[in-house]
This record gives sequence, C-alpha cells and structure tokens, in this order.
Amino acid sequence: MNCAAAMIPGTRWQQSSLLVFLVVVATVPFWADDYWTRIFTGVAMWSALAMSWNIMGGYAGYISFGQVAFFGIGAYTTAVLMQKGPGWGFFATLPVGAVLAGALAVLIGWPVLRLRGAYFAIATWALAEAFLQIATAAGFTGGSSGLTLPINASTSFFYYAMLVPAAVTFVVCWLLLERSRFGYRVKAVRDHEAAAESIGIDTTRVKIQAFAFSAVIPGVFGGIYAYWITFINPTSVLAGDITDQMVVMALVGGLGRIWGPALGATLLYLVDRQFIASFGETTAYIAVLGGLLALIVLFLPDGLISLFSRGHRTALSRQLLVRLLPGRGGTTGRGGRL
Amino acid sequence: MTLFIQTVVNGLLVGGLFVTISIGFSLAFGVLDVVDFAVGEWVMLGAFAGVASTTWFGIDPIAFLPVVFVVFAVLGWLLSPLIYRVRTSHYARPALMALAFTFGIATLARGSMLTAVGFDPRTVDIGVVSGTVTIGSLHIPALRLLGFAFAAVATALFMLFLYRTRTGLAARAVAQHKEYAGLMGVNVKRVSSLVYALYAGLTAMAGVLIGGIYSITAQDGPLYTLLAFFVVVLGGLGSVGGALVAGLLLGLLEALVTVYISADYTLAVVFGVLFLVLVISPRGLLRRGLA
Repeated sequence: MNCAAAMIPGTRWQQSSLLVFLVVVATVPFWADDYWTRIFTGVAMWSALAMSWNIMGGYAGYISFGQVAFFGIGAYTTAVLMQKGPGWGFFATLPVGAVLAGALAVLIGWPVLRLRGAYFAIATWALAEAFLQIATAAGFTGGSSGLTLPINASTSFFYYAMLVPAAVTFVVCWLLLERSRFGYRVKAVRDHEAAAESIGIDTTRVKIQAFAFSAVIPGVFGGIYAYWITFINPTSVLAGDITDQMVVMALVGGLGRIWGPALGATLLYLVDRQFIASFGETTAYIAVLGGLLALIVLFLPDGLISLFSRGHRTALSRQLLVRLLPGRGGTTGRGGRL
Repeated sequence: MTLFIQTVVNGLLVGGLFVTISIGFSLAFGVLDVVDFAVGEWVMLGAFAGVASTTWFGIDPIAFLPVVFVVFAVLGWLLSPLIYRVRTSHYARPALMALAFTFGIATLARGSMLTAVGFDPRTVDIGVVSGTVTIGSLHIPALRLLGFAFAAVATALFMLFLYRTRTGLAARAVAQHKEYAGLMGVNVKRVSSLVYALYAGLTAMAGVLIGGIYSITAQDGPLYTLLAFFVVVLGGLGSVGGALVAGLLLGLLEALVTVYISADYTLAVVFGVLFLVLVISPRGLLRRGLA
C-alpha cells in the first residue's frame, strides 16, 4: 500500500481525494439511475476522445481536424463485423477497429507529418470529409440509411465498457506523455521542432507515433459507441461536429494537460445534454460550439484547468495587462509554426 | 469526344472561380500567417446573400454584387484584427490557437446559417443571363461564361492591386517578412486587415456566382474550404502563380470526376490527388510554396 501510494504523485490530501474520486466513478451504476448512468457513460467516452485529440493538439502541437475519421472507422468496423454474415463477438471487433485506425494514421501521417505547419490540419480534415462521402456512397456501410447492430440493453454494461477503456486511456497517456522519454520527445517537437531535430530526435517518427497512438483511441471508442447506440449512419459517427466537440472539450479544459480534456468533456457533455433536453436536437448547438471555441481562444487560451494551477492569478493579470496595453502584440517573422 | 471537350470547357470555366477564391485565400494566409478555415463559409454566406437579393429586395444578384462585396469586406475588416491579435499574442502556441480560432468562426457561421435556413438546397436565381451559348457542337451555359468572365476581371484587378500599387507592394512585403516590412514603415496590422477585407469581399462575390451555377446548402462551407485548400496546396502554400494553375486544374478534375465517375466521389478523388501531391512534391506542383 505504501509502495503504491509512493508511486502516485501529490500530497496525502490529493491522494485521498483521488481515491474517493475513483470509488465514486467505479460505483456509478449502483447509486445513479439509468438516465445519469447514461450521462456518465457519455462523459467517459468524450473524456477519452478529447484526450486522444489532446495528444496531437496539446502535446505534439499539431491540430487534427479529422479525428472523427478514426472514430467512424472503429464504429463501422464493429458494425460490419457484428452483422449476421461475419457474426463476430463484440469484444473481438474492437482490436480490429483499433489496428485499422492506427494503420490509417500511419499511412496519412507519413507524407503529411514530414512537413511542418498547417498541412496536417488540412489533410486530416480532408480525410474525414472524404470518409463521410465514401461511407454515404458505398454499399457495405449501408449508405445513408446506415447499419443496425444487435441490441444489448444493459446500461451498466456500457458504463463499464466505456469507463474501463477510458481509464486505461488516461493511465497510458499519463505514463507515455508525462512519465517517459517519449513524452519529452513529443513536447520537444511542440516547443521547438528545429531544436528537437538538432539534438537528434527523429521528429517525423515521433509525430507519426503520436498520431497513430491518438488514432487508436477513437478507433476503439467508435466501436463501443456503435454497439451502445445500436444504429449508426454516416452523420452519427462521421460528422465533423464530432471532431468540433473534441476540439472544444480539449480547449475548454486545457491543452497539453492530462486532466484538461476530462474536465472539459465533463462540463461540455453536461451542457450538451442540457441543451438537447431544453431545445431538442438543434443545429444551434453547432453555432454554440463554434462561438465557444472562438471565445476560449480569445479569453482563456490555457483552458479552465489553468484556473486551478498555482500562480494563475499573476498569469491572468499579466495577460490582462498585455491585452489592455495597445501595441504590445508586436510583429512576428515568418518563422512561426502553424 | 464532344462530351469530353464539353466537360473540359465546363470544368475550366468553373475553375476560374476557384482561382479567384484561392488567390485571396493564399494571400490572406501570407499576411496573417493563418490558414483561414472560414474561406468556404464566405462562399456559402455570399451565395445566401445572392439568394436574399432576389427574395428580399427583388434585385438581380449580378447588380447586387457590389453590395455583397462591401458588406463582406466590412465583415472581414472587423474580423481580421481578432485573428491578428490571436496570431501575435503571447499565448504558448499562437499559430495553433489562430487556426482553432478561424475554425471556431467557421463553425459559428455554419451553425447559425443551418439554424436560420435549414438543410434545404437553394439556388441563386440569376436572371440577366440564361440559356447556352453554342460554338460549333459545344453548348456552353451562359452562366458559366459569366462566372469565368467575372473571375478573370476580379483576379486581374486583384493582381493589379498587388503588383502595381504601393499598398499591394506593402502587402507582398508583409507576406514575405512581417518584421522587416514593419521596419520599412509598413503598418502590418492595417495591411493585414485590408488584405483580409478584400479577400472576404472577393470570396463572397465568387460565392454568389457559385450559388448560381451549383445549388448551395448551409452546410456546404467545409466543402469549399476543402477545395480552396486543395488549390493552395497543389499550387504551393502562399504562391499566387501556383493558385492560378491549380484552380483551373481543380475545376477540370471536378468536372471529369462528376461526368465519368460520380459526383459522390469528388471529395475522395480530390483527397487522393492531394495525398499524392504531398507525397511527391510537398511544395506544390510548381515547387513554389513554402514547405
């Protein structure tokens, strides 16, 4: 016990609150009703999805606007394999989706990640749009009418089916990004790519590894999601709004932090459900997401989690000063990375 | 054979409009150092302004073009300082943040228009020209000819501004190096706003014509953003000459895919070509871009 406690960082107080948090999270189906269990299932899924985006966006400094493509691959893999013909079991389909998503990320990342700048954002976005179009037109995906999966009505099954992979995602991300040499390499690429290269880091390789890793996660969760909602079509698992939501969640929480995406996902998913409960499924939510994204970038670029860190007051007031004093922005050369 | 020539001509004519959009987009990227994800939304909003001109004011969209230009130039002029502020801010990753910012603006525009007009496709009803012009065995839709003529004039004027005026010189200097341009007495922020305003106005005007040639829905913005990306990546990011060639090529490619394969696969083919270009020649076909 002592040994385990020593491995977990933080003060005794932080350790015990972490323990309480874990117990509460692990027992949700026992104390919450079906409605709230479903909400928390969604929170677990979106936390992991936002974290997967955070790997590239927050840690490697490259924006992926096509993360939904991997989610869709996972969803369609599970859906297609669980149809009457192949008739696979649910758990057997998940690794297939993960491998397909990872392989595709390597294939896309290989040409695009050799370049710096906006190419990656463009290419990932184009990929997602192309996938949406293919899934709508192709035969094996059921076209726009979609695919239906076998029904499993157990709410607590899906809660744990989302929670366990989400927990694994966070632990693996924490170990890889905060506690390993790989994490330092990724952050070096983000902070100064040329300098990272000059000290012998194969930046292209690191970026492709990080991208493949960030693609495997939505690949798995897409599969679980498909089984959860039992019916998928191109707009429900490949629409750009899903990426938008991941981006906003990660930004609201805080880029490049382990807990940022979880915080952002929890808050935003609750807002999302509340929005649907009060206004119905409306496209106004897309506008809200976009407006929120723009406002966060303007006023809270480090996300909500920055409000919790020590010294945030000084940082905030400094930012305020920078904003209020005109002409402090200055000009920059061409050297900036996109 | 006639079908092939017909398709090529149709494609090249629409390609002119892609050139207009892409040149402004490319220059806006140069001066603001941000890839503007909202480019397709300007097209979409412009097309809907064209729809509004007939249904609300009863004016022909072609006569309405100057109004569209002014309105969207003002919008761009107001938006540009915000992008500039994010791009030159003291955030940890200003470039990434600026990208996210334009993406947020684009999403805001798309969501608002979807809420306002729904998913139904609309067509800009241009009454001034209609029917086809027959040359030999070719039947060319007059609207496409008009679109191409507009694109040629707009692009030529824009090039004149860039290469024959002092402000244009300043804009090109800012695109090359902001700090040095600043040291030479160029007001970087004002030039950026001006370029962005011109680009937004031009793109919205092109949108009116695109909305006349194809129909448009409120969710079409990302499609046109993607096509603009395709053109600038193919031509080399930041290269005006490259955009000229690549824009026409895109029009051609799109027409050929639509006629000989299926309109359902346009994006997939466009993406495939983009992928190949990035593998073979990342700086664009003419190798002029900034990799």
